[in-house]
Amino acid sequence: MPLPHVSDGTLPAHVEEQRTRVSIHEDAPRMTATVEAAGAYFASGVDNSFSMERFRRDLRIEVQQLDEEEIVFDVIGIDAAIANAFRRILLSEVPAMAIDKVFILNNTSMTEDEVLAHRLGLIPIRADPRLFRERVGDEDPDEHHVIAFRLEIKCTRGNKDDPGSSEMVNSRVLSSHLQWIPQGDQEERFREREIKPVHDDILIAKLRPGQEIVLEAWCEKGIGKTHSKWSPVATASYRLLPEIRCSRVRDHFIFSVESTGILPPEELFCEAAKVLMQKAADLAQLLKDAVLGQGGGADE
Amino acid sequence: MARNNYQDFVELNVSTCGATDANCGGSPCHSYASDASLRDVQFEHSGRATYGDLARGKRKRGSTQGVSKDKRIEYAKQILQREMLPHVGSQPCCSGVTPHSRSTIKRHGPTPLGIQPYCETKKAYFVGYIVHKLLILRFAPRPPLGHTCAPAAAGPLLGQLFRQLFRKLSKDVQKYGQKCIDKGQDFSPVAAVQHKTISNGLKYALATGTHLASRRAGRAHGSALTLGSTTEIGNWGQQKSAPGSIRAGVLNRLTFASTLSHLRRLNTPIGREGKLAKPRQLHNTHWGMVCPAETPEGQAVGLVKNLSLMAYISVGSAPEPILEFLEEWATENLEEIQPSAIPAATKVFVNGAWVGIHHQPDQLVKTLRAMRRGVDISAEVSIVRDIQARELRLFSDAGRCCRPILIVEDQSLLLKKEHIDKLRDKEVSRFNWSDCIANGLIEYIDTEEEETVMIAMNLSDLRADNRMYRYTHCEIHPSMILGICASIIPFPDHNQSPRNTYQSAMGKQAMGVYITNYQLRMDTMANVLYYPQKPLGITRSMSYLHFRELPAGINATVAIMCYSGYNQEDSVIFSQSSIDRGFFRSVFYRCYRDEERKVYFSGDRGGPESGRSEKFERPSRETDGLVPPGVRVSGDDIIIGKTAPVEPRAEELQDAGAARYEKRDASTPLRSSEAGYVDQVLLTTNQEGRKFVKVRIRSVRVPQIGDKFASRHGQKGTIGITYRQEDMPFNCEGITPDIIVNPHAIPSRMTIGHLVECLLSKVSSLTGDEGDATPFASVTVDDISKLLQNFGYQKRGFEVMYNGHTGRRLERLESSIFLGPTYYQRLKHMVDDKIHSRARGPVTLLTRQPMEGRARDGGLRFGEMERDCMISHGVASIMKERLFECSDRFRVHVCDICGMVAIANLNKGTFECRGCRNKTRISQVFMPYACKLLFQELMAMQIAPRMMV
Repeated sequence: MPLPHVSDGTLPAHVEEQRTRVSIHEDAPRMTATVEAAGAYFASGVDNSFSMERFRRDLRIEVQQLDEEEIVFDVIGIDAAIANAFRRILLSEVPAMAIDKVFILNNTSMTEDEVLAHRLGLIPIRADPRLFRERVGDEDPDEHHVIAFRLEIKCTRGNKDDPGSSEMVNSRVLSSHLQWIPQGDQEERFREREIKPVHDDILIAKLRPGQEIVLEAWCEKGIGKTHSKWSPVATASYRLLPEIRCSRVRDHFIFSVESTGILPPEELFCEAAKVLMQKAADLAQLLKDAVLGQGGGADE
Repeated sequence: MARNNYQDFVELNVSTCGATDANCGGSPCHSYASDASLRDVQFEHSGRATYGDLARGKRKRGSTQGVSKDKRIEYAKQILQREMLPHVGSQPCCSGVTPHSRSTIKRHGPTPLGIQPYCETKKAYFVGYIVHKLLILRFAPRPPLGHTCAPAAAGPLLGQLFRQLFRKLSKDVQKYGQKCIDKGQDFSPVAAVQHKTISNGLKYALATGTHLASRRAGRAHGSALTLGSTTEIGNWGQQKSAPGSIRAGVLNRLTFASTLSHLRRLNTPIGREGKLAKPRQLHNTHWGMVCPAETPEGQAVGLVKNLSLMAYISVGSAPEPILEFLEEWATENLEEIQPSAIPAATKVFVNGAWVGIHHQPDQLVKTLRAMRRGVDISAEVSIVRDIQARELRLFSDAGRCCRPILIVEDQSLLLKKEHIDKLRDKEVSRFNWSDCIANGLIEYIDTEEEETVMIAMNLSDLRADNRMYRYTHCEIHPSMILGICASIIPFPDHNQSPRNTYQSAMGKQAMGVYITNYQLRMDTMANVLYYPQKPLGITRSMSYLHFRELPAGINATVAIMCYSGYNQEDSVIFSQSSIDRGFFRSVFYRCYRDEERKVYFSGDRGGPESGRSEKFERPSRETDGLVPPGVRVSGDDIIIGKTAPVEPRAEELQDAGAARYEKRDASTPLRSSEAGYVDQVLLTTNQEGRKFVKVRIRSVRVPQIGDKFASRHGQKGTIGITYRQEDMPFNCEGITPDIIVNPHAIPSRMTIGHLVECLLSKVSSLTGDEGDATPFASVTVDDISKLLQNFGYQKRGFEVMYNGHTGRRLERLESSIFLGPTYYQRLKHMVDDKIHSRARGPVTLLTRQPMEGRARDGGLRFGEMERDCMISHGVASIMKERLFECSDRFRVHVCDICGMVAIANLNKGTFECRGCRNKTRISQVFMPYACKLLFQELMAMQIAPRMMV
């Protein structure tokens, strides 16, 4: 019996379809899993093993859209696991700076201290986290760990002569009221790109005449895993490339990354790649240690 | 003789009751206050004995011996006038003397206050009427026509309480006067009037909920009198003994809706244990008066009701204007007519009393209605014409349930577009609700009148060529049958009915902003949501409940799917990232209070100057003993430091040199399981001028595993796990759900409203408008679906999602995830308030067994069933350990000879049984302390339990 496809080294059309496409049915998609086993198509004479060259050759990244806050790009030729790793790292493992410690000196507003601190924590701070270090344990904070802000605001009646007037000064505390207090050589280092909240119009609290807030806030470096205020993205996700017929291309991801504004989105993706590389390197090291039986590493 | 008549009458009454019961035969025939006629005022005024009491001779008035016959007859007459059918032929005490009675005064001499002339005639007619009704009922039974509910509101109840107390006061004054005269002393009004009688009585009643017995007795009796008329006799029989009572409780301040709902609650004062289903069931006449959904579960189902949104309880007005009008309009008085004229004419009743007959009832009713619609007579007067029975009944008393309905004439509303326009810009036109009433566009109809009108449900019923019925009225909106809590549910008409009941109960536990000035209040407990949102799916009733201004929930993005299995059995998966960003965070406030009370030692009973005061202080430091605001406090910290003076003991007083304790610590610690910051400290003085303090502690409650949440459809659940954003499933837009609910929660519960709400909210989130989820409206699921489709979404709200862990598309059955925003509520039950464990801890004084309850750091009960379980496992040692070693193990020494407890001095190592003169043969035994206690109690009863070792 002639097996035409065997000779030309391709898969039968329906298998090829399954290998490269996710089919969409009325109720749900089918065939969403990737066939990874190297010998899966051995019978058809097709080698399914991973080859670095082929990967190098097939991998394509095409940026579709790029602005200050969002990047949309196609990643072609990778597995869902890799794409998902990037997404997950972007969400929770790329470091960022966020207010973590708030020293409240005076707060006579209606906003409770806890609420105020929580709100401050969620304000995205425009500071390059790569220029800071994460504070480990009880390490004394210095200018390489901490960015300090001060908020000192008091609401007053706009028109002092007319107590009946409803005019008020500083009735809305905005993120622009946060004053950066440079520590050590920070002023020097960040002359080009001054540290400040990404948005100036984030409402922190509302005040009424006579009420005031005085506080000092410390910004520290962290990752989204600890608390989502340290997540550098608003969201990062992808979808598969749709086709006219009811299917999706399995290895074509339309990736979109929305930055909170602390770093440009394209840089965030590079950071994510670095984190992934570091993780891979760590794992390789661990494996090596385990194999060599050098102990210690395996415990980690 | 008069007594005899009485007895007959009572028997008659009893037999009537029996007759109705027999005739009703299972149909709902309850009514106790068909004639709200028996105005308590009159009844109370004329003395408080019931017919039953009189018949049984329980109550004696005056002695029968040594009184002349004339006096006895006079007395019997008085009873007839005052206490038989008291509502007929007597005037409310406030009304004074009616014009035509002046002449009769001359004839009959002065009558007792409020008793009208000819009252005997009227009463005789009324008795005849009763007999007539009874015979009709016996020989030509008519189906009963339902009952009316006549709730007693706080005002009348308090009024009545006041009346009682005032009567007591005047009696006391009289007594005092009598005493003064008897002793020949001067009468001092100041000493006579005990001003505290009334204020203390009111205070006491409000604090405890005193029973105002005998009040309902009057009502129950009243129903017997109007037997066979439109309403039916009360089969809620126990009413006779059931007392109306003032129940004053703490107003529920959990959510604004719960406060509102609490103020519209009705309580049926019959035993909760009663097996009878009838009083608990929803009755036809409850339409529009009582909420069909809002009632508690359990023992009080159906007994505790809630008023519908538009239900109104009549306040009561004087019947005189009606009486005067009737007289003007040729109503013939009973004294002036031939009895033979009665069957052909219509009988006229005012507040249950038969006042006369009329020959043109059509005309009369028309005029009366016109007058009411023009508020020439009070708008809450009800006009009931029973054509079949030839009766016209008018009511003006307090305590009738009414509801407003649109008036229809010639198959069209009297309320026109111009009126609506005027109502729309109220500021300019000054046209409001009361104008609608005064212009006869809307009227209040009570339950009894409701039986005689034709109400269209919708406007379309009128417009259609529906000449089948001649409508007289039209509902304002059918959703007005719902009460406060049920009005918050979106699409309740798509839910299985018990789900609405569950939500009505749960909505009261939701957190939100319960009132805007919460930071100024010192409520014992309060929960406030950080970021409450108004719902995307609203009902039109919400505007009137201020639910948009004081909401209690958040529009969460909800996916209904199985994901990792941590949302089984009514648990839900929460997004930790959302929680980090403030999702459902809340603040909990608890208030502690204390005051410097007076302490009296045994010596100094008496005047206001005696006694020593407690003192707020920190014994070790020179402070006022109060924690300052802003301080972090945690379990068992002292919040209010206070000392109380200690009474010196006699022997200490003698030995002056010896040091002794002068004061005792009486501080208030923080609850052992709580922690927080001091929010506010309020220090003032109370009525008695003593120092009084309230301290408010604040703590933030971040949602965590175990906290309870619910949608607005009786779908409650606790957090099973929290996943960060990257672990949550995401759709093509990168949206991750905040909450993942298990699909198994849906089919058996049939809360379709939940799904429709989600669909509608999804559309609303795209349009930016509020979605209308009012029940009984014309919105259909298809309408909403179409809108959603126009926005490019799957029309039924399904979305394809990617697994957050693997990054692949969810396949097959897992996919097509129903995703959209749904309004969720955070309920007040949180794990942090429930978590409890104990290894060692306090024991009860009496039995030395561990305390009970979390608040006292108590043990967890190892009960009978747990014991049974251990027995069946055959693990006796474990059981001994749990029930004995870890509980109330106690060592005793027992005499081997007599088996009784012996004296043991462990320090000296001496043991002795005095009875046996035995110092050597003694055994040490371990037993539960409770057992030792039992033995000692038995010994106190002269029973010797012997432990033979």
